[in-house]
Amino acid sequence: MQVYKAFFKVIQKNRGQILIYLVVFMVLALLLTNTYNPPQNTDFSKVKVNIAFINNDDDSQLVAGLKTYLSENANLVDLPDDTQKLQDALFFREVEYILRVPAGFTEAILGGQDVQLEKTTVPDSTSNVYMDLLINKYLNTAQTYTTYMPGLSQADLTQYLAKDLAEQSEVTMISNGSHSANAEKSGYYFNYLSYSMFAILILGVCSVMLVFNDTDLKRRNLCSPIRSANMNFQMILGNLSFAILTWLVLISASFVMYGSFMFSTPGLLLLLNSFVFTLTALSISYLIGNLVKSRGAMSAVANVFALGTSFISGVFVPQELLGDNVLTIASFTPTYWYIKANNEIAAAVRFNADNLQSIFTSMVLVLTFGVAVLGVTLVLIKQRRVEA
Amino acid sequence: MFLFNYRYRLKCIFKDRQLMFWTFLFPILLATLFNLAFANLSSADSFLKVNVAVVQNQELDQNPAFTQAIDGADDLFIVQYTTRAAADALLKDNQIDGYIVFDSDLNLVVNQSGLNQTIIREFLDDFVQSSATLVTIITANPTALDNGILAGVSSRSEYLTAVSASQSNPDPVVNYFYALIAMTCLYGGFLGVKEVVAIQADLSAVGARINLAPTNKLTVFLSSMLAATTIQLLELLILLAFLIGVLGISFGDQLGYIALTCVAGSLTGVTFGACIGSIIKKSEGLKIGILIGSTMIMSFLAGMMSADMKYLVMTRAPILGYLNPANLITDSFYALYYYNTHTQFFTDILLLCGFTLLFSTVTYLVIRRQKYASL
Repeated sequence: MQVYKAFFKVIQKNRGQILIYLVVFMVLALLLTNTYNPPQNTDFSKVKVNIAFINNDDDSQLVAGLKTYLSENANLVDLPDDTQKLQDALFFREVEYILRVPAGFTEAILGGQDVQLEKTTVPDSTSNVYMDLLINKYLNTAQTYTTYMPGLSQADLTQYLAKDLAEQSEVTMISNGSHSANAEKSGYYFNYLSYSMFAILILGVCSVMLVFNDTDLKRRNLCSPIRSANMNFQMILGNLSFAILTWLVLISASFVMYGSFMFSTPGLLLLLNSFVFTLTALSISYLIGNLVKSRGAMSAVANVFALGTSFISGVFVPQELLGDNVLTIASFTPTYWYIKANNEIAAAVRFNADNLQSIFTSMVLVLTFGVAVLGVTLVLIKQRRVEA
Repeated sequence: MFLFNYRYRLKCIFKDRQLMFWTFLFPILLATLFNLAFANLSSADSFLKVNVAVVQNQELDQNPAFTQAIDGADDLFIVQYTTRAAADALLKDNQIDGYIVFDSDLNLVVNQSGLNQTIIREFLDDFVQSSATLVTIITANPTALDNGILAGVSSRSEYLTAVSASQSNPDPVVNYFYALIAMTCLYGGFLGVKEVVAIQADLSAVGARINLAPTNKLTVFLSSMLAATTIQLLELLILLAFLIGVLGISFGDQLGYIALTCVAGSLTGVTFGACIGSIIKKSEGLKIGILIGSTMIMSFLAGMMSADMKYLVMTRAPILGYLNPANLITDSFYALYYYNTHTQFFTDILLLCGFTLLFSTVTYLVIRRQKYASL
């Protein structure tokens, strides 16, 4: 098994570069899957928009009432009244709505005069529409009271407002069945896995192929007393072991993070899907390994390929947010189908013929990519041998 | 000698295909990918009318006020009247965000908690709350009925005036591209490393030959650095033209200041590389590794992977932001795009110049007057 051993010696020499991608993946997986909290499906809860509330009026009971009302329906974020700080907060969506109560507001409302509050928003956003509804309602109700019950004290007014606006309508939540948070989180985990898998396999396989395809070394190997079939067999075995080893390392953290979930049906499907993807990624890496000529080109191709397919296939940005044109292009890469199957597995509440068929179709497509690319590579190798 | 060396260094850099890939093609490629991936990100939170179904039954017919109210809210909702079964089917297919059933009380049926659902809820709450207000007022002041309170409750006035935060749209997506430019500037460090290697006698054969020449080393080095900066600036301008012209990324309209940022950024990047190249005495691989590693960390902190990161640094650790050249470059573009004043912009540019000066001084002190007993 000299060839097999040599394969792993070359990998050993290049472990630095490979480890970088492993670390990147672990950090990504840990950070992003743990900060992500899927919405709970059991009860309806209001979505609260982050807003800033700035009062330029006196601290009247009415202003306090408005603030309390808003704090029940939105998240009040404390921000200093400084133009640039407010601009920054809006730009980076720390808040989506800034409300400024002007001086003389309380008097105007109590006196039934017209008054305008200043809002600074993300233009045309849904949160803008929602907050407008809330604030206008509070002030319109206040106005109704001051019109029809003149002489109402400020304390009574805010009390009435608080009482009226606490009324709620009924909401029924139709739940689609229980959906474990682990399913969505592990879906993300396995999506990120594709990026590192590609990068690691391309780097590993290429670095070995560069060595073995070196003309002088190849000639020396060909005149060795090992049959070429045997040598090829060991090479294939080396490639496969490397791919499976990478797969095992990359999936290992999922068992730590999601525990017994990985042995349930969706967990096992995710594992199967990632294994199928590993084989295809190996096949593509093998083609690239036979095409690149230098180490510099190797890291360029690994980066471009891993990053490029990941970006357009929905690894970093969810597929729903990508444009149709992008997805059409992406559907010519195996990563797209891998991610599609992952998302479907993660989203499925229960498995039936419909969604299983869709999931397995994606897997078969991924595998077909692998077989097709392998075919091309073998033809390429054959042709080169004839030429040489 | 100055021009001679300048011309040949230009050629050397242009012919280095790997270098040209990483400093020029890679950022353009990344920008294209960003654009593909983020194209729909900023439009994701823009308001589209909420799809809602109303179940037709007897109770609904007995409450014409409600039908009137929801039909009046056509700036919020796209309403369809159907049967309960049809509404269920629509909800299951996510064709509607929720449906409303009147059975003695108002009831909203949804299948998830989202902002659209919250808006429908708010509308229904409003209906219930208005009734409560009516009851309270009429109980206290029965004459209100004669004074047209019913019309008064349903007539709404607008209390809010929009004031825009800045002349530009607060779109966090542009920050990704600004941080990408910052990364490109610091990738100019590859050129700086290359120039230092090419002039140091212990690092390359070319360096050894140059040190033999009866020319002032500083003159040669300055012309090398100038060549590197020229190319870096050229690459940056092409990237900028690509971002503005092809991808349509907004940079504001202060072209002069944008160009100034590019010049300052290029200088910082190239001198940063030269500084790393001269301080680290080990192999070129290690120099490149450190250059890429530090650039990536700095770009990450400037918000290239997640725009929230920049805000986090801005608010929690502003010092870290000022010590990070990538953030200073990103912040310059951000300030030009978004702020109404130039204070922040000039602070950033001055600090960038400070960094350039620091890197140059360190490089100068390390590579000057080196003598070798043997090579």
